[in-house]
Amino acid sequence: MTPSMVTHDSGETAPEERASSFLALTFWNTDHKVIGLNYLWLGLISVFLGMALSLLMRIHVAWPGVHLPFVSRLANTPEHYGALAMLHGSLMIFMVLTAAPQAGFGNYFLPLQIGAREMAFPTLNLMSFWATAASLLGITASFFLLPDRGLTLWVASVALFCAASLWSALNISVTAIDLRTRGMTLPRMPLTAWAWFLTAILGSLIFSILLAACALLLSDQVVGTHFFTAPQAIMGSMPYSMPQGIPLLWQRLFWFFAQAEVYVAMLPCLGITSHLLSTFTRKPVWALRAVVLALGGVGLFGFCIWGYHMFESGLNPHVPLVFASLAESLGLPAVILLASWLATLWKGKIQLTTAMLFAIGFVSLFISGGLSGLFLARHDLAVVAVSDEFITGHFHLVMGVAATFAILGALFFWFPKMFGRRLNETLGKLHFWLTFAGVYCVFMPMHWLGLIAHSRTAGANPVAAAVAGATVRNFITGATILTIAAQGIFLFNFLWSVWRGAKDNEKNPWRATTLEWSTPSPTPLDNFGAAEPVVYRGAYEYGASDSAEDFVPQHRAPGQVARKDH
Amino acid sequence: MPGAPVLDEIKIIIEDIGKGGGKEPPSGGDGGGDGEKHGRPGPPSPRRYYTGIALGIVSILMFFMALASAYLVQRATSNRWVPVHLPAILWANTMVLLASSATMEQARKRLSRADLSGFRTLWLVTTMLGLAFLAGQLVAWRLLVAQGIYVSTNQGSSFFYIFTAVHAAHLLGGISALIYVYRRNFETAKVSLSIAAEVTSYYWHFMDGLWLFLLALLYLGK
Repeated sequence: MTPSMVTHDSGETAPEERASSFLALTFWNTDHKVIGLNYLWLGLISVFLGMALSLLMRIHVAWPGVHLPFVSRLANTPEHYGALAMLHGSLMIFMVLTAAPQAGFGNYFLPLQIGAREMAFPTLNLMSFWATAASLLGITASFFLLPDRGLTLWVASVALFCAASLWSALNISVTAIDLRTRGMTLPRMPLTAWAWFLTAILGSLIFSILLAACALLLSDQVVGTHFFTAPQAIMGSMPYSMPQGIPLLWQRLFWFFAQAEVYVAMLPCLGITSHLLSTFTRKPVWALRAVVLALGGVGLFGFCIWGYHMFESGLNPHVPLVFASLAESLGLPAVILLASWLATLWKGKIQLTTAMLFAIGFVSLFISGGLSGLFLARHDLAVVAVSDEFITGHFHLVMGVAATFAILGALFFWFPKMFGRRLNETLGKLHFWLTFAGVYCVFMPMHWLGLIAHSRTAGANPVAAAVAGATVRNFITGATILTIAAQGIFLFNFLWSVWRGAKDNEKNPWRATTLEWSTPSPTPLDNFGAAEPVVYRGAYEYGASDSAEDFVPQHRAPGQVARKDH
Repeated sequence: MPGAPVLDEIKIIIEDIGKGGGKEPPSGGDGGGDGEKHGRPGPPSPRRYYTGIALGIVSILMFFMALASAYLVQRATSNRWVPVHLPAILWANTMVLLASSATMEQARKRLSRADLSGFRTLWLVTTMLGLAFLAGQLVAWRLLVAQGIYVSTNQGSSFFYIFTAVHAAHLLGGISALIYVYRRNFETAKVSLSIAAEVTSYYWHFMDGLWLFLLALLYLGK
């Protein structure tokens, strides 16, 4: 629309990059790489904002009486505290976990990996980004306008985010379907591209539902309809512990979206992890087809298990069984993925780069979080044995932190391609180990807290249980502070490396196979230059015994592979 | 406005489809190279418009299904459900919308016979019929308001207004696409007139069918 026409018109008289200012190049650019990078910046801002909020919450849990200058005013009334959790959740889930791996890396690398010059609808892409940015602004601002106008603004911003995600999902799926270069058949697509594609399909279904729910909620707020009877309660409550007052209709619509949203956030991360593990073990992905099917299975089951969350609100008694079986059957694709990761690692020539460490860290978190998920999928166990904190711990470990690890791994992996520089590996490893230890110290004890609340000790001796609980809570708060402090290392490493990092214009520093590594670093505006790339082989040809190198890039024609005996 | 983001969504999807996504010239990023080079791969295949509209329609359908299921659940569980008496003008509106689909197909038939002026006339008629439908929906609202039935009167009326409003917002997107196809100079576009018209027609017929579905829902909801 108009924004692109500005660059377009200026581009006709002179080469775009000379005529346009920095602002136009950064913010009105329809280039998929610029947009992807902008999404990543958005995610970076949101993740630090979100972490600051969680720190604020932990401080108030550990020391309820403490008075921090400026910020306590925002958090020490009950409705503000509830909104704090909501704001933390919406920033982290929408802006970081949904936007960064999918819209961020997806926009940047999907066209590069499938050999496309641009996204299917570049202008639409730019609009998606700007709607997302506006939504971030709205969500953040809503916190300062509590309670009434704040809720309206929050709902409107989430609706805007939904619309942006729908456009983005449409763009990504059409790009993956129609813009693949010659030879890039579906089985040859890298797992990352598969994951972005499947996520986009899933996203284009579920964000419609959240958009509908938001439309109804917004009409309650603005024109006085009564679709939901207690909209205020929605804002002030933890999403996964809907109190009785929350209208059933909202619960249905919300969970239909929210349960699948977990997989929208996780799918790209699963793809990234498989991709990184293969690259840094110099081995093909084990059971590649099964992994693709498993990714599809995650999406399909993820879409179907929404009703699981309706246990508490009373469904037909047979229905929970169906949903519990569906929830348990998510274990199948999860086990296939896990088996593939472990088998890929098995006897691989493991290169412990920071990117690889984060990928392995993801596997570890996926196992830990997945095991506690088994407790939750059993409806009977979940009801009697588990309280909120168990769920908080489970879901942060498997969703929040694991996904963040995949994002960080992807960032270390693709950084040279995006900036033509390297992130510092020493700082990266230091950051990894501190974060890895830190998140286990924060979220494992939360599982204990959840169990203590329902244990026999709590029934027989509430005082002892309370004391134990308080100790654990303080430990968690301490660990949170240290873990967040460790993120300073990352922030420094990232910002330093973007502008001052060691230059590395090598095309393919990791000796990887996919198409993006055949372009110069950083990738020029037209991606592949004059020639259209042609793909001759699958995405994970590592460790081929008869070639001189231990990998064969996808664009290498059969006759061009250097043989060992040369 | 509940429908505003939706409206934008459709507008943009349609406009993008109409004008051919890759609006900018192939960017000459290789240092001093002048724009178009020979042998440079052309714009991506126009298939993407068909895929785009198909996926877009699925998304929009999902959006309306969520609203419809909310409607059905509320109607089944509410103990004080008051149905809306549908104003008779809705039937006339429906006829107008159906007629617009027919004229649109006629227009495309003219186009395939290279009768450009016939196409343009009928295309314009389709646009007018679309606008007439929207005007008719507004009249229906006025009639209800005159009876004292507002959006917040009861859940039945809320759903009536919401359904008609979001459908109208989506249809408005279709109308912008119609106008866009009418005014665009396809000599310079990367997409041909017939593809733009075809893709727009898919969306338009979908809006048509969607309205029939919503009307049935509201009518049977009595």
